[in-house]
Amino acid sequence: MPKGWALPAETERGRAVLALVELWAENGYAGLSVTEIAARAGMSRERFEGLFDSVEAAAVTANEAPLAAVVEIVADLYSADRSEAESYAVAVVGILRLMTANPAYCYLTFIGGRQMAPSRVHEVFESGHQFLVAMLERLWAASPLSDQPARVGVAALGAAEAVVRREIVAGRYEALPALAPDLVYGSMVPFLGQAEAMRLAELSRRHLEEDLEA
Amino acid sequence: MDSQQRDRMLQAMMEELADRGYSEASVERARSVAGVSETDFAAEFADKDECLFAAYDQLTDQVVARASAECDRGEPWPERVRTGLESLLRGMAEQPGMAMALTRAFPGIRPSAYERYVELLSRFVPFMIEGREYSEVDEELPGEVELLAVGAAEAIIFGEVDAGRAERLPKMLPEILFSVLVPFMGPERAAEEMRTASMSI
Repeated sequence: MPKGWALPAETERGRAVLALVELWAENGYAGLSVTEIAARAGMSRERFEGLFDSVEAAAVTANEAPLAAVVEIVADLYSADRSEAESYAVAVVGILRLMTANPAYCYLTFIGGRQMAPSRVHEVFESGHQFLVAMLERLWAASPLSDQPARVGVAALGAAEAVVRREIVAGRYEALPALAPDLVYGSMVPFLGQAEAMRLAELSRRHLEEDLEA
Repeated sequence: MDSQQRDRMLQAMMEELADRGYSEASVERARSVAGVSETDFAAEFADKDECLFAAYDQLTDQVVARASAECDRGEPWPERVRTGLESLLRGMAEQPGMAMALTRAFPGIRPSAYERYVELLSRFVPFMIEGREYSEVDEELPGEVELLAVGAAEAIIFGEVDAGRAERLPKMLPEILFSVLVPFMGPERAAEEMRTASMSI
């Protein structure tokens, strides 16, 4: 299994970044200050400045950590025994479970990086987003449509993200894994059609149940 | 402050946000544009944030009303979705600054502002429920299918507004329509609606 969504909390860098993402989730990016982050992390302002050049540099690192985790999940769960779409359906469960375990990072990834970040941090969010869109658009190979709309990958990912964001805003992080079947359906139906998207949603539901039993 | 003055103040405050961003948005400039005295402002709003939140609520009411007014006809559901979307996209293209304030500037202020944006998206969910009747599969569609459809449209709209291309949105109606309809109707029938919409642009 992947090491996690977050930087290791036992390291100084991990503590500093965790303090940043927690404060970001509570107050937004504009309210962040080195003094406050350092105090939350239990270190001096000088020590924080020794670890990161600026709040923005720490925010970039914070946004890169979930991206690395998603790549690791995808690499772990893609298997020769499953089709690409089946691997994706299983990977969604893994991603949601990691998010549940790291609420502050979850807010950062889905809301903070998209809505509140300065351009350098926003670019990291966009990189992760483009990676996931590109994964989805590989499913066009199985589509019967000849006139495939250009932004369906963006829309398919956005469909799932809207549901995730509503749960995050409501603070229902523990409910995220149970949404996997719906998210799989929404992100795959444009490419594979309703019947196949329903089958894959059911596959993710079974994987989630097996995961919970294990 | 009477209701007309209040409306002018809210409009001017949202324009400030759209033009200058949150940190530079000025209550004084907005008051000057709206013709509202400092005393009247203080009697109505505690501070800049309270005014901005009220302005955003007014803007979202207008957006939902504009989209739903076009949806309230006797046409089949996919056509009503198309006309509602058409109206929404046209409005955003006509006022790109407001589109930016609606989707990016205001929600990005802080978490409590972002909650308002999530509420806005949820207000479109009831318009989607009828889409369940158009499903091709026997099983019941997922419980979140309505928000999935709204989120699909939002993702494309957000991306275009964020990139400074709001004026292009009306031309993107066909593919946005496809993304909204596809969870309910499947890709083939959603593509038929997309092609019909393409011919009307």
